[in-house]
Amino acid sequence: MVKPKVGFYSLTGCQGEYLTILGMEDSLLDLLSLVEVVEFKLASSVELPVSVDVAFVEGSVSTKKDLEYLEEIRRKSGTLVALGNCAVWGGIQASTTGTDWKDLMRSVYGTDENLYGFLGEHKGLSEVVQVDYELQGCPIEGREFTELLVDLVRGVRPVLPDYPVCVECKLREIPCLIVERGLPCLGPITVAGCDARCPSYDTACIGCRGPLRDEANVSGELETLLKRGYDRKTLIDLMSMFGARYGEVAKLVAGR
Amino acid sequence: MREIRVEHLARVEGHGNIEVVLDGDEVKKAILRIYEGPRFFERLLIGRRYYEVPDIVARICSICPDPYQVASSRAIERAMGIRVDRQVEVLRELQLISDVIHSHALHLFFLALPDFMGYKDAMSMLDKYSETVKLGLKVKRAGNAIKEVVTGRTVHGVVTKPGGYTRVPRREELERLAKQLEESIEGAREAIRVFSSLPMPEFARESNQYIAVDPGDAYGYSGDHLLTSDGERYPVERYMELTNEVTVGHSSAKHSSYKGRSFMTGALARLLLNRHRLYGEAREAYGKLEDKIDPSNPFSNNLAQAVELLYSVERAVDLINGLLDEGIRDELMVEVSPRAGEGVAVVEAPRGLLYHHYKLNDKGEVVFANIVTPTAQNAANMDHYLRIAARNLRGLGDEELKLRLEMLVRAYDPCISCSVHLIRLRREP
Repeated sequence: MVKPKVGFYSLTGCQGEYLTILGMEDSLLDLLSLVEVVEFKLASSVELPVSVDVAFVEGSVSTKKDLEYLEEIRRKSGTLVALGNCAVWGGIQASTTGTDWKDLMRSVYGTDENLYGFLGEHKGLSEVVQVDYELQGCPIEGREFTELLVDLVRGVRPVLPDYPVCVECKLREIPCLIVERGLPCLGPITVAGCDARCPSYDTACIGCRGPLRDEANVSGELETLLKRGYDRKTLIDLMSMFGARYGEVAKLVAGR
Repeated sequence: MREIRVEHLARVEGHGNIEVVLDGDEVKKAILRIYEGPRFFERLLIGRRYYEVPDIVARICSICPDPYQVASSRAIERAMGIRVDRQVEVLRELQLISDVIHSHALHLFFLALPDFMGYKDAMSMLDKYSETVKLGLKVKRAGNAIKEVVTGRTVHGVVTKPGGYTRVPRREELERLAKQLEESIEGAREAIRVFSSLPMPEFARESNQYIAVDPGDAYGYSGDHLLTSDGERYPVERYMELTNEVTVGHSSAKHSSYKGRSFMTGALARLLLNRHRLYGEAREAYGKLEDKIDPSNPFSNNLAQAVELLYSVERAVDLINGLLDEGIRDELMVEVSPRAGEGVAVVEAPRGLLYHHYKLNDKGEVVFANIVTPTAQNAANMDHYLRIAARNLRGLGDEELKLRLEMLVRAYDPCISCSVHLIRLRREP
């Protein structure tokens, strides 16, 4: 069997997706034996490949360099997979969406000059190129990555969750943190796949997997939590932490 | 003129390259250039509520999110006058140790070792060294297992907050964890065996200075004071005197100095300054290696990491057994009423000192944040030793020289993403 050629690429981020993959110690060697890894800078010194069957890209598109690199990866790849919240929604750095880039530069670098070829915003990949699959999470879940990779190797179309974290909470029979404890949980608007990780650790979902694309009921969530006494700024800040570029949240952020 | 460029350093976290310019026997330039994309973390913290901070700052780094969570929690507790109990302190020490184990194992077996063995990566080493790689994976796995149990996730844990943890581990989880750690210790021994048998490169030797935390009685990764290799001891509140950060034109990380000279922080600094605080098998191992650990050679950092790996596994087992003996209490978090204040804290991340400094308003919102990362502190020292290496190796061909320079930078185990998130850069005129 010819093994598919796979590349792992990084734009602006913390490389948490790759640390998650390297953290799957029990299955890592088996998993990587299914494919031919032709590029993985974090783990290996090899040169940029001519082309790959599957490109995994993590990080946000934040600089001119990111943009050019991503366009090149797109040209040279069969299937392109966005890995993690940075690649899907621009990451935690996209929570500055709506702030003038000069203001950001001034407050951090003390200059109005555009350093590092900053694009002025931190974007997800699909805002720039065509993306075939999006695996959400900050960071991704190792189990989801394994399933996706195996499906792609077998030529099966991967099925990714299109329902909120609440569904997984119910399946695990965890009492609702909003209803029972009044916590500001973002489970209702956040895409599932983490097996309700935070609620299972007695903590409210902070939305690190990003909004359920096209279906997150942001105004419903806001209304529910406003009724429970949270102030508007707190809630918008919370929702914008990992979802500032989602349409409904972006509108709230802009009107803040 | 001869120009040597290592484009995009592999096997380090983040994006950087090495640039060296030689003019005959003279080294005109020797720098690690860091070109990570800007993420504006200090700006995104402003206006955020105190309890959001550990979740936000964790995202600065994926190799070492735990020191960020612990340091920020502690600095915020100081700002608001909160005291946590001993159980929280022990869990935090475990959290810091988890990162040391997984990060050192990753660095030693997967990022550094392939260089010494002449491979491009650990995967290619499998045919000949599968036992070593598998032992490395096993001990790394044990570090991640601590993260899963204590923090809820291997990258960016979910339960660490100012005031404590939203959930404390269950007895059965801790029992399983102690067993797993005990079974993984062979990996730490293997790291010591392998790295102590490797020839230590000698091309970048010169007297160095070091700074590390004063961990108190036992060797460890946090404290309220800093120790320097010239015998001084500083309270953490005076950290600015130890970092003296200045902006430089060539790198998006600021450069630090102590008494006018660059310094090194990280495993080697900790081991040299705190070796008498080691105990157990790690102390014996250190005794046997003492002659090999050369304070004037940054490559000794690899061996220091191996000793720390062994110590950390042993220490984690002790801490867990201590918790089990005392009986783990399902403590709720300390009740917090927000108030204005200012707090500083320091911890040791795997690659060195990490300072967090916050000012909060009376609603508990961040109005000022300063984070000084280990790689930023090491940046000037890396450049210094790159210069020495370039001078000593100038006779080599380009490819050979590039590899040695890359190895030198990797010996510092730099974490580039961390180094750049907080800088105020003034362009040089």
